[in-house]
Amino acid sequence: MSAHAAAPSGHDHSHDDHHHEIPFWKKYIFSTDHKMIGMQYGITAMLFLAFGFYLMMVMRWSIAYPHQALPEWMSWIFTDSWKARWLQDGKVTGETYNMFGAMHGTIMVFLGIVPLGFGAFGNYVTPLQIGAVDMAFPKLNMVSYWVYLAGGLIMCASFFMESGAAKSGWTNYSPLAGFADGQIVNQWLAGQTQWLLGLICLITSSLLGSVNFITTIINLRARGMTWMRLPFFVWAMLVTGFLLLLAFPPLEAAGIMQLMDRVGHSSFFMPSGLFTKSEGLADLSGGGSPLLFQHLFWFLGHPEVYVLLLPAIACVAEIIPVNTRKPLWGYKSMVYSLLILGFLSFIVWAHHMYMTGMGAAVSTFFQTTTVLISIPSVIIITALLISLWGGSIRFTPPMLWACAFIPMFGIGGLTGLPLAFNLVGLHLHDTYYVIGHFHYVVAPGILFGLFAGVYHWYPKITGRYMSGFLSHVHFWPSLVCMNIIFFPMLTQGMAGFHRRWYNGGDAYLDKATAATADGANVFANTVAQNIDLNIVMSYGAWILAVAQIPFIINLFLAWKFGKKVSSDNPWDATTLEWATPTPPGHGNFTFDVAVYRGPYEYSRPDCDKDYYPQWEAPKNKTQASAYESTDKGHH
Amino acid sequence: MEIPYIVNARKDTGLINSKIAIWLFLASEVMLFAGFFSAYVYLRMGADYPWPERTLPVLPGLINTFILIASSVTVVFAWVALKLGNWRQFQIYMGITVACAAIFMVFKGIEYNVKFHHQAARLHDYTVVEGHLGYQKDDKEEYVLDRNGKKIEENRIRVVAEKLTFSVKRFHAPWVNEMLSEAEHAKSSIRLIADIKAIISEGGEEETIAKAGEVLSIELLEKIKQVQLDALAHNSALRTDALRMEWKEAKLANPSKRGWQLSSDVNIDMAALSPRLLTEISTVEFTVDPPTRLLFKPRDIKEGAASSTLRDATVITGAMEASPMVFHNLDAIDFQWLVMKAKEKGISPESAIANSWLMKNSKFVREAWTWHIARNENRQAQLTKGYGLKEDGKTPKRTLTHKELYRLGWKDLGEMGVEMQQVKIGGLDKIKEEFMGPNYKARGDKTFPHLSVPREEIRHAAKFTPAWNTYYAIYFTITGLHGLHVVGGALVLLYYLVLGRKMFLSNPEWFANRVEVGGLFWHFVDLVWIFAFPIFYLM
Repeated sequence: MSAHAAAPSGHDHSHDDHHHEIPFWKKYIFSTDHKMIGMQYGITAMLFLAFGFYLMMVMRWSIAYPHQALPEWMSWIFTDSWKARWLQDGKVTGETYNMFGAMHGTIMVFLGIVPLGFGAFGNYVTPLQIGAVDMAFPKLNMVSYWVYLAGGLIMCASFFMESGAAKSGWTNYSPLAGFADGQIVNQWLAGQTQWLLGLICLITSSLLGSVNFITTIINLRARGMTWMRLPFFVWAMLVTGFLLLLAFPPLEAAGIMQLMDRVGHSSFFMPSGLFTKSEGLADLSGGGSPLLFQHLFWFLGHPEVYVLLLPAIACVAEIIPVNTRKPLWGYKSMVYSLLILGFLSFIVWAHHMYMTGMGAAVSTFFQTTTVLISIPSVIIITALLISLWGGSIRFTPPMLWACAFIPMFGIGGLTGLPLAFNLVGLHLHDTYYVIGHFHYVVAPGILFGLFAGVYHWYPKITGRYMSGFLSHVHFWPSLVCMNIIFFPMLTQGMAGFHRRWYNGGDAYLDKATAATADGANVFANTVAQNIDLNIVMSYGAWILAVAQIPFIINLFLAWKFGKKVSSDNPWDATTLEWATPTPPGHGNFTFDVAVYRGPYEYSRPDCDKDYYPQWEAPKNKTQASAYESTDKGHH
Repeated sequence: MEIPYIVNARKDTGLINSKIAIWLFLASEVMLFAGFFSAYVYLRMGADYPWPERTLPVLPGLINTFILIASSVTVVFAWVALKLGNWRQFQIYMGITVACAAIFMVFKGIEYNVKFHHQAARLHDYTVVEGHLGYQKDDKEEYVLDRNGKKIEENRIRVVAEKLTFSVKRFHAPWVNEMLSEAEHAKSSIRLIADIKAIISEGGEEETIAKAGEVLSIELLEKIKQVQLDALAHNSALRTDALRMEWKEAKLANPSKRGWQLSSDVNIDMAALSPRLLTEISTVEFTVDPPTRLLFKPRDIKEGAASSTLRDATVITGAMEASPMVFHNLDAIDFQWLVMKAKEKGISPESAIANSWLMKNSKFVREAWTWHIARNENRQAQLTKGYGLKEDGKTPKRTLTHKELYRLGWKDLGEMGVEMQQVKIGGLDKIKEEFMGPNYKARGDKTFPHLSVPREEIRHAAKFTPAWNTYYAIYFTITGLHGLHVVGGALVLLYYLVLGRKMFLSNPEWFANRVEVGGLFWHFVDLVWIFAFPIFYLM
């Protein structure tokens, strides 16, 4: 049964055959193979993440040292004329800060994490885990990657335009976003318009992707791969697919309407009597609703949070059973929680809008649903935590990251609870507390989960392990720095620091009386007490950047020089992706795939090995009957 | 490698891949249009102006509805024909389907075209006038042509330019070219007022970049722009270095202080730096000799009596001529909004209307309104007669709507023309009007007269496009997107029709699956229209 589990050399040979058959551009560029597309997604997404990280470093300089010129180690990347346009005596201006802030958010969310989690891991792993030869629509899969890349490039190209890139926050609220860049004669060449065009591309891409994923999971499961035998990862991809499929279109509608506002001079989101500094009384019909944009945006925006999160949880949920050598605790309750979470995520969106004056009844409804959605999230995280209990834990590199994910995401989640209440929102809305909260979820939470995924599946993708030493050098400073960056934000936020201060609160300081402890300007004193944290956080960010260097080195060097895997299943895992040759060739499997049991059969007492892969046929009658009874148990 | 379940359904799900995919795709489409339709509800509920009701021509919309429903039926027949293996019949039904789509789009195109040529203006007192813009005519009643031989629409801001001040960094080349051509046409020249001198290398002497009297050209502006960009880049680099140096020294001098405590003391020593700086030229001035009239679209210019500014920051010095908006055919007078605003302020509708600019300045409008009030009394009397009075014995059970009371649309004006001016209109022309809107030619100036509105009376003006109000914005967005779906769907169906024969012969089941999927999409397109038609045309 398990000839495929050994002798990787034979597979290398067949792999080479493919290499000769398929021309370079078809194999590596316009590939329709889900694994190559997954890698394309992964590499592109990581480049965007690096770019988004860089934008953040410039912002952090401005926050920490608003009166000092950007140091050369950060500004060398710009040309002199770009610096002349966007920096004032080398200092980051408010306008530039806004631009970098808007693009940092956009890039990290839409171009970095979603494509890495859903696009890269989803594409590479999902068909393998369900025992499929490829995605249901390979060409569509290719198109979705290229549309994503086009969307990303369109957005980023606007950095080099007269107008600069979008500056109205990643949420792009109208009316600000509606008239921003209004001075540009050809509106199609304004950064704000490019942002919308890029967004429409990205939405199209994720629509194609999600249709493909869901179809694949429904129809291309291998023989015996019943629903309750699906690895949790696949469930997470299914739910993520549905979130993308149903939550993104309303944002596309909002994007199209905002595009109409910009190039067709309509007033979907422009209220009557709009008066701006640059335009005076706007020459518009008015009668539109800024609140409508926020509703449509957050109808996507909240499910989007779970689109970011679920792939990361999915990776962690795969890594923990392998490295604890015991089944995932509460698999079924995790799956049901996931489904409930997916459903609830559609009815919590307006908790981002408590301060818009939409009314107490509406706020109360969304407050209730928001508190409700914490229940399935906590079930999932608790199940992951309990999965560690009594396991014989192997602290492999992926496991390090997976273990760090749980408390880091925990902090992110728990700091979110107060924000669910609209009364608390009065104080914390738009402060650094909010920034701290969601960055805890996204950066040390989600990104750690995705790093775990990279370390975990790297041996399958390349046939080599990533260096354990470098991964430790990557992990520990990252863990420390993440907390140095984001924990002070919670403190500052509670002190009232606004999230959009480009100078870190400098403008609020009362410098004349700053020396005296009890000046009359109370808020200035509060700012003075907390402003030095800015420097601490900024150093955290820069050290974090340095800490990513070992990862980059590891990622490339291990490809050539890493320790070779001794078998196709180097972690002794149970799920189907480890039944393929290493790396898997076109068509993935070299045998007729059949699935005999659930995804996490570790340390079964009736087995000689401590793992019982899904694809191994039962050897004797006892096992067969055991398999039957577990099978019944799963239904 | 072969992807399974393309032709034959998977047993446990009972579905082929593309069937799942199309339903998912349609679910996503439902969410997309749900976004738009909820925007419609939201905008209409929150509208702070009289929402236009039943303004679109119902007849063509209704015909389109039936055409689309018919095509949804024929696409099923086409699929059935394929299942029966009858290629010829498939061709016929699919042909009808695609033809229906084409007819639908033709009607849609006519409807859009009428809108794009229909002007509306909201005056400062919230009176709304609608109609057809005219073209400029000279004293002999002949059209004035521009230099390209095109008629000039009477919705242009006219400025007699004496001096042009360009923003070196932001000038918009097409506009500069436009000015150049206009000047050439008027036999005037645009020349640099003064020498442009600049230091273009560090520590160098001042050099003349361009001499006074040099003729405006894109090349000249580009040359100055390059000088400016170089200077900015150079100066910015110098200032950055200087600032870094100052901070270094400040920190050394005050090691105990934090950056923000020092910040107000740290400044660049500009006196020391200025000899090294290059000259920055932000604007350049040209004279226009003799002064030339330039025409601009209202949106491109912020006009002033003595100087105006274009959107690319070009300042035009020179008098603005009277630039009225001239309706050659006025076809609607609408006081609904004015009455709404008047009531908010506690002013009676009658006095608000009587005091409006339009009533004071147009004899035609006064006559029409007198006729309208008399007719309204008649209509109200008939309503009272037909439905009776409420229990209090005074108020009628049915009253005229706000729209009937305060709006004179083109049909009302037509009715008035026939009644008052004995305008004759043929039956065919009347049917044509149902599709194309008011027939100015047949009804003439007596029904749809000339009206000139001074620019300063206008608060907001637009064609009947998304710019006019949120109703037209959502109407064009939903129907436009629906139209794109119709075109997209029809192209796919046409592809099956024209290029499907080969696949029909080699793999008929697979081909039938494809047509089925295309048909499902087609039904969805139909369904969207079933929602769009009532909310835009009937409600």
